[in-house]
Amino acid sequence: MSGIQHSGHEHTHSHDHNHHHSQDHTHHHHRIGHSHDTGNSSIDYYAVYSGIRHWDPRFKVGFSVLLLLFTLIGNHPVVSVIAAVTAAILTVGFGKLHPHQYISVLTIPLAFIIVGSLAVGIEFAREPLGDWNLFLHFGYMFVTKESLMKMLALMIKVFGAVSAMFIMTLSTPSFELFSVIKRMHCPTMLVELMHMIYRFIFILMNVQRNMRISAESRMGFCDFKTSLYTFGQIASNLFIVSLKKANAFYDAMEARCYDGEFLFLEEETKVSRKLVIAAAVYFTLLLAVTILVRVKF
Amino acid sequence: MTNTQTTERQAVLQVKNLHYAYDEKKTALNGINVDIYSGERIAIVGSNGAGKSTFFLNINGVLTPEEGEILFEGVPVTKKTLKQLRKNIGIVFQDADNQIVASTVKAEVSFGPMNLKLPKETVKQRVETAMEYMNISEYGDRPPHYLSGGEKKRVAIADIIAMEPRAIIFDEPTAALDPVNAAMLEDVLTRLSAEGKTLLVSTHDVDFTYRWAERVLVFCGGEIIADGTPLEIFRNQDVVKRANLQRPMMLDVYEELVSAGLLPDDHSYPRVPSELAEIAAANRAGNE
Repeated sequence: MSGIQHSGHEHTHSHDHNHHHSQDHTHHHHRIGHSHDTGNSSIDYYAVYSGIRHWDPRFKVGFSVLLLLFTLIGNHPVVSVIAAVTAAILTVGFGKLHPHQYISVLTIPLAFIIVGSLAVGIEFAREPLGDWNLFLHFGYMFVTKESLMKMLALMIKVFGAVSAMFIMTLSTPSFELFSVIKRMHCPTMLVELMHMIYRFIFILMNVQRNMRISAESRMGFCDFKTSLYTFGQIASNLFIVSLKKANAFYDAMEARCYDGEFLFLEEETKVSRKLVIAAAVYFTLLLAVTILVRVKF
Repeated sequence: MTNTQTTERQAVLQVKNLHYAYDEKKTALNGINVDIYSGERIAIVGSNGAGKSTFFLNINGVLTPEEGEILFEGVPVTKKTLKQLRKNIGIVFQDADNQIVASTVKAEVSFGPMNLKLPKETVKQRVETAMEYMNISEYGDRPPHYLSGGEKKRVAIADIIAMEPRAIIFDEPTAALDPVNAAMLEDVLTRLSAEGKTLLVSTHDVDFTYRWAERVLVFCGGEIIADGTPLEIFRNQDVVKRANLQRPMMLDVYEELVSAGLLPDDHSYPRVPSELAEIAAANRAGNE
């Protein structure tokens, strides 16, 4: 869903970026034209076509998690900024994800971060307090320099942490992630559930999308009242149609001797030594920086 | 082209008095009796809801018949031997989207052989062979959901080929395929048949049935109302009418030419235009 909306956004806002725009456009078409059920999963799509897709998934997951830990435990804006920059370099530089797409993916958590951090920065009181305040009918809304700094630091920290996770998300398709989880000896049951849920998300979205489009083509969303009615109809049909689809899907799996465990051929990948050394150097430097900034400032 | 054997043809599958109902009111299959022999090219025709797909799911063991018996290579199928049936009778489903499970083409094709609990090396080899056979080797690491309709169909077929079944069922394979992909599919069917695989293809395309199949099963209301060569089936007005079939174009054209006296009535029944052209050329040469 987000992918479509974002492309639409660029459509209206980037008339001056003609080059980028046309690129997005063809990309967009490729996605819609070639699939029935995946206009919706842009993040997964980016991961599949990432330039660092061939890196061992275990390495990518490990790297992301370690970087995440650094931003959380290091707890210093400098570390967070480094993490965010690292993520951008890896995803856009090595991963060859288009900057526009990277930014549009980042805006989703960014909105949450901003809204969430406001609650930390802004305080309320009966008297005019703080460095800046605003009189509201019931009292004063105020901010202090301190609370503002705290809010800013929190925003940067969360942004760094989210960026760190995006290294993994935008380069490791879900199924590779599942296999990493499986190798970490997570109960098979959970991994199976992940597989199933992942597949069924596609089925549900596909069904919903087709119904929505066909309703739209019959003026099903022409005004508010009709829209509500159509939405209700789609919601109730969605359940039945999905159930039928799920049944067909399960039959097809059984026909191929499925008996309760998803088994796929997995390539034996080896973590490249070069990458490990690079990562080791990177984290050593990051550790040094972290200690330095923690002690000095 | 057919897998002629020195001994009498071996029955791969014997279906005896098969009954199946989805619920009490609606019987889907009503006493099916049929023997399927090794290497046969069978087309299964009949209108929507005639029971073709239900029949397929029964003979693959996904659905359990209410009544009747299925014998695989002479051995009755029980719960214990069910896996044998699923392993040896593969189904390529109509909608590839419902069949595709995995998130890369390679993993997808490996799903069947992995479920057969084969050694990893064998699986790898089978996956590679099947992908090569269907000409999708280059898509190995791509996610199947992002492929085009024709490509997805090829993946779905490779899925089954990798399991190396004795018989392959194609449930309306040409539905939703463009002419190029439909031709590709027919080519695959011809190749598989030449290699001795038993093929069952359900279809609404009578012209395809007429030129490709050596045996036709006509489903109507959960029963097989006719079983014979394409020629026997399509020349039988009663069957054609009851099953809401149409006559193949080539058959009509030939019979019209014969009745107009343009061709001799020698029952040669061409199945493709090139055969008709040969007959016409031979006829002209004979007249001169």
